[in-house]
Amino acid sequence: MPMVLLECDKDIPERQKHIYLKAPDEDTREYLPIANAATIPGTLSERGCAFCGAKLVIGGVLKDTIQMIHGPLGCAYDTWHTKRYPTDNGHFNMKYVWSTDMKESHIVFGGEKRLEQSMNEAFDEMPDIKRMIVYTTCPTALIGDDIKAVAKKVMKERPDVDIFTVECPGFSGVSQSKGHHVLNIGWINEKVETLEKEITSEYTMNFIGDFNIQGDTQLLQTYWDKLGIQVVAHFTGNGTYDDLRCMHQAKLNVVNCARSSGYIANELKKRYGIPRLDIDSWGFSYMAEGIRKICAFFGIEERGEALIAEEEAKWKPKLDWYKERLQGKKMAIWTGGPRLWHWTKSVEDDLGIQVVAMSSKFGHEEDFEKVIARGREGTYYIDDGNELEFFEIIDLVKPDVIFTGPRVGELVKKLHIPYVNGHGYHNGPYMGFEGFVNLARDTYNAVYNPLRHLAAVDIRDKAQSTPVIMREAA
Amino acid sequence: MSACDTAAVKPAEVKLVPKDRGGIINPMYDCQPAGAQFAGIGVKDCIPLVHGGQGCTMFVRLLFAQHFKENFDIASTSLHEESAVFGGTKRVEEGVMVLAKRYPNLRVIPIITTCSTEVIGDDIEGTINNCNRALKAEFPDRQIYLAPVHTPSFKGSHVSGYAECLKSMVKTIAKTKGAPNGKLNLIPGWVNPGDITLLKYYMKEMGVDANILVDTEDFDSPMMPNKVIDTHGRTTVEDIQESANAVATVALARYEGATTSEYLQDAFEVPHNLVNTPYGIKNTDDMLRKISEITGKEIPESLVRERGIALDALADLAHMFFANKKVAIFGHPDLVLGLAQFCMEVELEPVLLLIGDDQGSKYKKDSRIAELKASAHFDMEIIHNADLWDLEKKIAKGEVKLDLIMGHSKGRYIAIDANIPMVRVGFPTFDRAGLYRKPTVGYKGAMELAESIANAMFAHMEYTRDREWILNTW
Repeated sequence: MPMVLLECDKDIPERQKHIYLKAPDEDTREYLPIANAATIPGTLSERGCAFCGAKLVIGGVLKDTIQMIHGPLGCAYDTWHTKRYPTDNGHFNMKYVWSTDMKESHIVFGGEKRLEQSMNEAFDEMPDIKRMIVYTTCPTALIGDDIKAVAKKVMKERPDVDIFTVECPGFSGVSQSKGHHVLNIGWINEKVETLEKEITSEYTMNFIGDFNIQGDTQLLQTYWDKLGIQVVAHFTGNGTYDDLRCMHQAKLNVVNCARSSGYIANELKKRYGIPRLDIDSWGFSYMAEGIRKICAFFGIEERGEALIAEEEAKWKPKLDWYKERLQGKKMAIWTGGPRLWHWTKSVEDDLGIQVVAMSSKFGHEEDFEKVIARGREGTYYIDDGNELEFFEIIDLVKPDVIFTGPRVGELVKKLHIPYVNGHGYHNGPYMGFEGFVNLARDTYNAVYNPLRHLAAVDIRDKAQSTPVIMREAA
Repeated sequence: MSACDTAAVKPAEVKLVPKDRGGIINPMYDCQPAGAQFAGIGVKDCIPLVHGGQGCTMFVRLLFAQHFKENFDIASTSLHEESAVFGGTKRVEEGVMVLAKRYPNLRVIPIITTCSTEVIGDDIEGTINNCNRALKAEFPDRQIYLAPVHTPSFKGSHVSGYAECLKSMVKTIAKTKGAPNGKLNLIPGWVNPGDITLLKYYMKEMGVDANILVDTEDFDSPMMPNKVIDTHGRTTVEDIQESANAVATVALARYEGATTSEYLQDAFEVPHNLVNTPYGIKNTDDMLRKISEITGKEIPESLVRERGIALDALADLAHMFFANKKVAIFGHPDLVLGLAQFCMEVELEPVLLLIGDDQGSKYKKDSRIAELKASAHFDMEIIHNADLWDLEKKIAKGEVKLDLIMGHSKGRYIAIDANIPMVRVGFPTFDRAGLYRKPTVGYKGAMELAESIANAMFAHMEYTRDREWILNTW
């Protein structure tokens, strides 16, 4: 029985359709977990909402843009101080959130005036900032505030500003995934080709679906600089609002996170004929493959080979040191969606790690097709896993380390299992060659941490002694 | 450090004013449902069920995990479009049943509304009646208390949401007046596990049998050899039932606990007492005297000694290092006003107090503000409905010159960018280690806070080479 009904799910048997155990010689067409479907209420799912998928994941990364959240203050408070995406201009994006602070009277009489006031205040208070994204939230969508009309009015009165609107309240869709889609499509419909920027290289691309987590974008940018490729727009790591308006000018769309940002790449292909090239930026073999594909597109293969050789000479010995020590260790990955398929084979090929269980919060069936193809047999593939399921799966697979968020990390700590932050990283960046050595180092430090062995000791038990943990210097 | 002002020549002015903008830039508080969730997790065998979009739960769980470095169980009804159109009460019913089935020890479910479900107008009380019937049919031997908690995000803040949920749980669970139990209800408000531990120690030293509503001491929970997870509130259903039979209630927080204390008086004739939150020496004295007066128990020698040790430590710091130093404080109203009183005791000058929330009329009646008005020998501004931009702007414009900021981690960049020493206090304090374990209330809390302030100032003197040589001998 490849679809698994866990003991904790006996009262919600429909969960069986979401949990797959890959067995040998199986026709995987028959066993794709159901994904991107509504969560069962009360299951302690890990999912967020569509609003956060747009604001927190994509829009809020931009380094020069006011993120005006039209709703009560909580939606702003909660999507602040939860991400690690620095910028090269002092982290404007992480320092501030803006809310229209909707009160009961605005719910009763409409909140458009309040929105207009808040937008003008924000521009007045921060006179150097001329770009803004306005988001609806659950209550302002329910009362039907016309945020587009307000944005138009403010733009008319302030000719030097540009404003984009995103309408995906928290209740829309089944997860944050809906918000990614709404922002992608809205942007191509309304903002692409509204500006032209200076083109300085014959090789131009957009780098799509990378959010500069702990400097990922900035690390990869050193590669593009060495290759002489101009990145027209970063969607959206360390990115600017105006660069994203110029996405039509690129010759190639390189996509890392296909789940959050594949939509805009597809539209750029359809409307402007710009080809879409999907790469994986995590892992040595994948990164090299990605660079080769990009360079092949531009006909600059020698440059690519030189870069790969240089990077591998620098970082491969360090990676191999970790690989020797991580060989055969068991990892679980409980993150958003795409990192399952980005990581499962790269940690196996580059580090010898076995990924034994994976859960996706908001992946679609397409993501499960990819991860099941790349992943191991005997591994659990879970859609929208919940807390009791995690406990049961941990008992079944006994991972040495779990890549997940900090809250779940705190939970599994009690079970003496170390976690590595699979969203914001421990000490990144994790992309690129250097980044994957960072990932290997953090994994090694987690797996070989002495505390888990100390935690297992019961000092009342005379048969036990407290061990001295031997650990090698990296 | 600024040079000492030698004398105040003009009468000091203490102003209470609201923020002068409509929108918010960097909120100080989260919304009502977040506070309700915090009260809910303080009860044992309780999983709050938040009726709204998934983000309303996911981010709040993350926030609690950031502050306490622990995981807490909170469920969502995962509201989606069809509920927004046709009502979401079926999802509440489903959520309650799923929780009851999968968590056999579950005894309390606060059903917490959000902005969306309040706008839709879901009938929570009627739904609870349906749920109670279904629970009785399915689990005739179990009693699960379903508490309706109306916390639209467009009113109040997480402070009022906390108070609302606490009151609703007591209303739902404490139904009958029984034999007097000789206990004292103690309502500490939104404080840390370290505060609860200290308050319980005080009660034990005095021989007072205290019923803490709610007891969050185990929010700091251990890694145990048997891997047990005990991260939950310690207040039981029985404790809440017994609150109706207490000799009296002492509420230590005007905005987070007084309404529950008043309810217990109205419903069960348990005398209501409100004291200032015990920040600083005088407020702690007044609390202990009040408890002594109510219970007839003497204040023991041990607390007289603890008070003396605190005073002894404070005396080393106050007029040598603290006098004339200008301080801004932001956070919960009970915390900010209490810490301002404490500052006056140790010669710090709290020149700027920021309290969020739209309850200006309530603040006008707060006796602590009257006391500050009477006692301040310097100009003081108290901004209510404030956001953190108020603080940042006043510093940037030079309207206040500060030697110290006291507040929670959401304001960290103000201190970092302006290079002003900051002591983290209140909620959340995720960017400093272990603060949830340290008391801020009581004599010991006053001493430890003062020492944190002194050490922050000393480190700043060293990093900025500002008369660091003073500490060459101390």
